[in-house]
Amino acid sequence: MSENPHQSYDARILEMKDLTPREKLFTLRFLDPEVGEHFTFRPGQFVIVDMRGFGEFPISLCSSPTRKGYIQLCIRKAGRMTKFIHKMKEGEIVGIRGPYGNGFPMEEMEGSNLILVAGGLGMAPLRSVLWYALDTAKYEDVWLFYGTKAYEDILFRDEIVHLMKHGKAMGCKVKLAYEVESPSCVYLERGFSDRVCKGVVTDLFRGEIFDVENTYALICGPPVMYRFVIRELLDRKLSPGRIYMTLERRMRCGIGKCGHCIVGTSTSIKYVCKDGPVFTYWDALSTRGLI
Amino acid sequence: MRYVKLSIENFSSFFNSLRNWGKVYAPTKRGSIYTFQEVHDQEEIELNYTRTMLPPKKFFVRPREKMFQLKNGHWENRSNAEPIVLFGLHSCDIHGLKILDKVYLEEPIDPYYKARREKALIIGISCMPDEYCFCKSLGTRFAMDGFDLFLHELPDGWLVRVGSVRGHEIAWANEDLFEEVTDEDLRNFKEFEEKRSKSFKKELPGEGLADMLDLAYNSPVWKKYAEICLACGNCNMVCPTCRCYEVCDRWINSYESVRERRYDSCFMENHGLVAGGHNFRPTRLDRFRHRYYCKSYFDPSSGYNCVGCGRCDEFCPAKIEHVKVLEEVRGSLR
Repeated sequence: MSENPHQSYDARILEMKDLTPREKLFTLRFLDPEVGEHFTFRPGQFVIVDMRGFGEFPISLCSSPTRKGYIQLCIRKAGRMTKFIHKMKEGEIVGIRGPYGNGFPMEEMEGSNLILVAGGLGMAPLRSVLWYALDTAKYEDVWLFYGTKAYEDILFRDEIVHLMKHGKAMGCKVKLAYEVESPSCVYLERGFSDRVCKGVVTDLFRGEIFDVENTYALICGPPVMYRFVIRELLDRKLSPGRIYMTLERRMRCGIGKCGHCIVGTSTSIKYVCKDGPVFTYWDALSTRGLI
Repeated sequence: MRYVKLSIENFSSFFNSLRNWGKVYAPTKRGSIYTFQEVHDQEEIELNYTRTMLPPKKFFVRPREKMFQLKNGHWENRSNAEPIVLFGLHSCDIHGLKILDKVYLEEPIDPYYKARREKALIIGISCMPDEYCFCKSLGTRFAMDGFDLFLHELPDGWLVRVGSVRGHEIAWANEDLFEEVTDEDLRNFKEFEEKRSKSFKKELPGEGLADMLDLAYNSPVWKKYAEICLACGNCNMVCPTCRCYEVCDRWINSYESVRERRYDSCFMENHGLVAGGHNFRPTRLDRFRHRYYCKSYFDPSSGYNCVGCGRCDEFCPAKIEHVKVLEEVRGSLR
């Protein structure tokens, strides 16, 4: 491995798939098999994509480490660099460095129930957790509560509908909320009336009871979502130490040097790229500015 | 620690011998400011300087630096470190480098920084505080380590503290220039330090500071100063411990590009901006407060992120004083 942590490794784009008009799923494989072999990660970690000559951007891994030989990134067309990668072709090469960050404590949560709460693009890192949990089968019930703006914005729609249909045997329950109505939603709602509703993600908590002693909540979504979801969880007496959330900040270097992702005050300063991006709600209570 | 004495007569021979170790950089005066520049002659140096505008961090975290060069679609490493001697660093600046070390030499190690740091010889020199200095309050007025040699002014020369093996080797190579330290030298050393200790005009009571500031998060004082602040980022540039950097790729021609990093400032609007336009520190108040909290963060192993050098005060165009802001914020709690 290179001694320079700023150096990226060549990876080939094996496949590019449209998830929505804005988001594409990139499947990548490292050119050097040795690098690919060494590249292990935990759900919740991220990589930095190196568009040589154009810049770098951080993006969370959305595939599961249980599925080897490739990595997947769900990239939204949001700026100059992501627009550029959306225009690339299958077979082309990009640089990848990482994985970075702490990831979710998957071992610690073994044997417990997991409640994944995703909002919009927040589905990407949680998909890694979802597949990891289902592949390893080391967890009790795995619930996914997913809120999007509209039916068309649901990421990994096929996989999610598949889990709605067949997930029960694996202890997997999926619930969806959408804000804008469309014919497709109505269709979906008709099929799964108990699990699909018009509203926001917190509406999916209605009527749900969970075993607080044996449950972890994992949240990822837009900044505005956290407060409301956490309130639902705290109302049900889930301990702040069992609420995990993965946060977004401007992670430029990924290794705790460049300073852009620093949060906190004089008593507690955290680098989101290194100390996070996964934090507990307790971290948020003790570090100002985290959420 | 090993202590030797360097007499005034031997100073120039000692200084000239340093050039065997690499290019020598020392404080010089340019117009009304001091700056670390390459020197060839003892005459060029201003030993009695207050503070340089840019701290010695500029030798290790470069204001602008090429990290990689793109050739045929692949990055090539562009690190270039040459042996240098940094002569005449004040204690606060040595502490500043130690704080940078903590960031850049912690795993994963930044190879650019490390290469330059390893090739630099650090020679400290004692100083007298001026009206901006508050290093005494932060425990950085005396350097216990982080240097190779440290020169303390005596009436007839310097008391030299030898702080590293390399420092010892230099003293060894120049054995005939150094003498044993006498009791009188020690008396003079003690006297100088006592006089220095009494000369501080600015004080920042550090007790419970971190907690007090945290509690005063919503103090109106932040707002008052954020309105005066020009958000120019000068304080970031001149701070010996500010090290935020921005990376960008720049095309040289159609085939070649370089990846550069350069100083960034948390006062700039895009410092906390993420894709999609969400800004985690959207207002000047957020950014102003952020810098103060970052500087006042207390790490049990390395102390505050501020060394009390006074540069941010001296070079602030809005004349905002660091200690005064913190004192007022703390006062607003009462």
